[in-house]
Amino acid sequence: MAATRVEPRAREIFSTLEYGPVPESHACALAWLDTHDRLLGHYVNGKWQKPEHRNAASCQDPVTGENLATFLQAQEKDVGAAVQAARTAFESWSQLPGTTRAQYLTRLAKMIQKHLRLLWTLESLFTGRAVREIRDGDIPLAQQLLQYHAIQAHIQEEALADWEPMGVVGLILPPTFSFMDMMWRVCPALAVGCTVVALVPPSSPTPLLLAQLAGELSPFPGILNVLSGPTSLAPALVSWPGVQKVVFCGAVEEGRALRRSLAGKGATLGLALGTESLLLLTDSADVDSAVEGVVDAAWSDRSPGGLRLLIQESVWDEAVRRLQGRMGRLRSGRGLDGAVDMGTRGAAAHDLAQCYVREAQSQGGEVFQAGDIPSNNPFFPPTLISGLPPAAPCFQAEVPWPVVMAFPFRTAKEALALANGTPRGGSASVWSERLGQALELGYRLLAGTVWINAHGLQDPAVPIGGCKESGSSWHGGPDGLYEYLRPLGTPPQPPYFCESLNYDTFGLAVPSTLPAELEIGSSPEPPYGLFVGGRFQAPGARSSRPIQDSSGNLHGYVAEGGAKDIRGAVEAAHQAAPGWAVQSPASRASLLWALAAALERRTPALVSRLERQGAELKAARAEVELSVRRLRKWGAQVQAQGHTPQVAGLKGPVLRLREPLGVLAIVCPNEWPLLAFVSLLAPALAHGNAVVLVPSETCPLLALEVCQDMASLCPAGLVNVVTGDRDHLTRCLALHQDIQALWYFGSAQGSQFVEWASAGNLKPVWVNGGSLRAWDQQTEGAGPELGLRAARTKALWVPMGD
Amino acid sequence: MSHDINCPISQRALLSPPDLSWISRAQVNQPAVLRRAEQVQARQAVKKAWQAAWLLKAVTFIDLTTLSGDDTSSNVQRLCYKAKYPIREDLLKALNMHDKGITTAAVCVYPARVCDAVKALKAAGCDIPVASEQVSQGFQPLQTNSRSMRHLPSLQLLKLSLYDEIRQFRKASGDARVKTILATGELGSLTNVYKASLVAMMAGSDFIKTSTGKETVNATLPVAIVMLRAIRDFFWKTGTKVGFKPAGGIRTAKDALVWLSLVKEELGDEWLTPELFRIGASSLLSDIERQIYHHVTGRYAAYHDLPMS
Repeated sequence: MAATRVEPRAREIFSTLEYGPVPESHACALAWLDTHDRLLGHYVNGKWQKPEHRNAASCQDPVTGENLATFLQAQEKDVGAAVQAARTAFESWSQLPGTTRAQYLTRLAKMIQKHLRLLWTLESLFTGRAVREIRDGDIPLAQQLLQYHAIQAHIQEEALADWEPMGVVGLILPPTFSFMDMMWRVCPALAVGCTVVALVPPSSPTPLLLAQLAGELSPFPGILNVLSGPTSLAPALVSWPGVQKVVFCGAVEEGRALRRSLAGKGATLGLALGTESLLLLTDSADVDSAVEGVVDAAWSDRSPGGLRLLIQESVWDEAVRRLQGRMGRLRSGRGLDGAVDMGTRGAAAHDLAQCYVREAQSQGGEVFQAGDIPSNNPFFPPTLISGLPPAAPCFQAEVPWPVVMAFPFRTAKEALALANGTPRGGSASVWSERLGQALELGYRLLAGTVWINAHGLQDPAVPIGGCKESGSSWHGGPDGLYEYLRPLGTPPQPPYFCESLNYDTFGLAVPSTLPAELEIGSSPEPPYGLFVGGRFQAPGARSSRPIQDSSGNLHGYVAEGGAKDIRGAVEAAHQAAPGWAVQSPASRASLLWALAAALERRTPALVSRLERQGAELKAARAEVELSVRRLRKWGAQVQAQGHTPQVAGLKGPVLRLREPLGVLAIVCPNEWPLLAFVSLLAPALAHGNAVVLVPSETCPLLALEVCQDMASLCPAGLVNVVTGDRDHLTRCLALHQDIQALWYFGSAQGSQFVEWASAGNLKPVWVNGGSLRAWDQQTEGAGPELGLRAARTKALWVPMGD
Repeated sequence: MSHDINCPISQRALLSPPDLSWISRAQVNQPAVLRRAEQVQARQAVKKAWQAAWLLKAVTFIDLTTLSGDDTSSNVQRLCYKAKYPIREDLLKALNMHDKGITTAAVCVYPARVCDAVKALKAAGCDIPVASEQVSQGFQPLQTNSRSMRHLPSLQLLKLSLYDEIRQFRKASGDARVKTILATGELGSLTNVYKASLVAMMAGSDFIKTSTGKETVNATLPVAIVMLRAIRDFFWKTGTKVGFKPAGGIRTAKDALVWLSLVKEELGDEWLTPELFRIGASSLLSDIERQIYHHVTGRYAAYHDLPMS
């Protein structure tokens, strides 16, 4: 072990030429702890708080086991005080001009500059990560983040004129995190005018130190408050009014639980889950460089988790030989030793890795371990597991640090199928010297970040996010800013939590429709079917529901859709989705414009239907007209998508791609039966999604009327409209695992249910919480918010050079 | 090209036929190699006793060089004595290293000064080899070729002509060891550096060298990484260990440590011997001596505290 090696004489070293320890003095970290008598409380409202009668958690050095400090665990009232402080601070902070906030962030960067050594030794001391990575990687990045977001704050009034800060942001961090996770989220939140309450595990003092540094820059106490406490305080944090956004990064299951427990609480939830990444090594790659990529991805302290490594069969032997050779030269040891490649992540991470490796071995995986590793507990050697096929149970679990799970593939197509065949979608890298192949793989991998011939690059200007179970929040770049903004003029969402909502029975059964009184007048049109797969079909339940007009008379019959119909609609949408996603923006635009023209031709019919629903003639005309305009607007806007951020120190472009979500389910509101339907459908189609729609429950006929045109204009399955009982259909959609996103505009209870049920596949959801939306207004009906939610961002790094 | 006079032949590269498919398959990703170079450069390899030992080791890898137009027998003589006594005796004693016979690996001079150097070294009573930078007498016809070789623009041309040329040279040089200078600054891309390294090794070079040390672009870490990887691949394929010599631009003790750790990382400890690793340098030695002085005494040396070369 590096720390306890006796210093051999120069003579000996001369013949062995071994590495020696390069200890980093952590005296200043200890001195800082001593100024607090080794007892750390909370930093709230610009002051240290050490309330009495709190549980104390002592924290040990992960290597020596020496007691370093004691943390006071927060209780609910501490959380309340912190939220109160943040709310008070928000009043003034959010009103400041962006330039003032920019100056503050710049000053904070300078403040950090003065305490660099303290920061990196403190972080390394407590987490056990290699100090080299923190010193050379994290700290400079933290300063870049502050600088970048200072600039964003400075230009906020121009660049983000249509947006305003959300309010108080709750930040919940897991036990195994680096302080960078906090910086990535705190910087944009502060920059746009939000204030932050961070709940950190009672084992990391760095966030407290950062809060202290921020707090000492008066006159803005209370913009960054840090509490030590368990994740279980999250619901308490949200239950305080004023908290509009909760950001969580951590394990997938914890995120799921948090999603469930915060359903209906009114705060939007941003999740960034899981730590695993993926590396795709093709036969045209520079294998040696790819091996360094694997080291970056799993066996250095640059990255948080394990790695799934796909190697093309033809270079398997070569790659594995090089990997094993490289592993043997890795050094692990105390994080504060400046010469080690890998530190430790504490006992918990060690046990997790141990457990995973044993499991893999028992399932027939070959395990290779190497490296210069101290044998005592918290250290775990770099590990390479191979020989496990996808069907092995171990294969499906998340690969923990510092394990690499390697498996072969034959063709690039197969690699894509294997890589996209996991529930995770965080970051991935593609190693190939063939440009066409590399781009093909880069575009088609389902992931938030794809690096080509590199791994783990980060920059404040490039958004990092994920898809599938890796969560759907972004940090960094413009997307990171939007996380903390809401459209100007929209009110904060009040909580819509209903204690009595039974998740098991909500929308479970459809009230059956019995034959009503005699049909009066001319027999109405035959009942509409469900518009699924490009044609009208009879519903699985073979029953219809009557639709009444505003005066209570029968207007017509529509199909009563059920679970089977939803299944069919989602399947149809999935068949249409890939084809639509690769359509050029121009052809998407032309479809939307054709739809607009068709709608225009249908104006008389639509207006008369609207009139029967009680609208004034003028209002009905206006609604149809506005609907036509919306289709045209989104059609025109398809063209302008994505951009190329400039990245310091990187030659070559980083592409910010806006990719379709896949199959998007939309539950339309009852009001504005035509306009809301079109306003939601248009951005979804414009961004390349296939759609399953539930139209207005009380007045679905207008949507079905539009479907008659879609039957001839749209590819089959692109738009599917299922009518029926809204709660029941919502339940089916929310619980469907193969829907990539769900927008819900219905009741408060429905919103709560949707949020709760979305924990299943962690699909991003957008709910209205039972409140009405002004669909005829530009901001709420056609604002940039819709465009943001209708696609997801992917950052594609393409370094260049020869 | 150059060869070491008096150098015992420890091993001999195999004269394999050129494996063109291997050469054409080679892929080097430049941005990734640059990142690796940055990582290697940023790491602090060793400190304290380790640093002292590593630096002394580095001394034994140095080809102490003077390649100036105004070289005369007197400054060559000074150089040779410095090569024999690279570090002040009392400093070595303090480190208990005085009996290790630490000298530089070789002395490197223009062909015209080889005789002076050999004479001076004999007088100093040591057997440090003398390398001459340029083909020594007897290979005159090839000399022009070898010069022009460095300026061949196209690697396609280079591949075969280089191979044949080194083969001829190899035959002509008999038992002496052949070192091929790749002039990497002019090869255009890192992939070409890799390919040129392979060709040179296939043709039987015992050593490959980054550059003459007199060009605009000298030994850089990215180039070295690629050459070291080529050396390792060649070793894996043929079992022949080929040596590596960076030259030019390595001036400080810190640089030397980075280069040692690079070779250790990419090739392993077996390559850290003067038979397989040399550093071509002139001012490096005095900086190393200064660092050793500081390690032993805890003081920073004045210019006059250390003997000049």
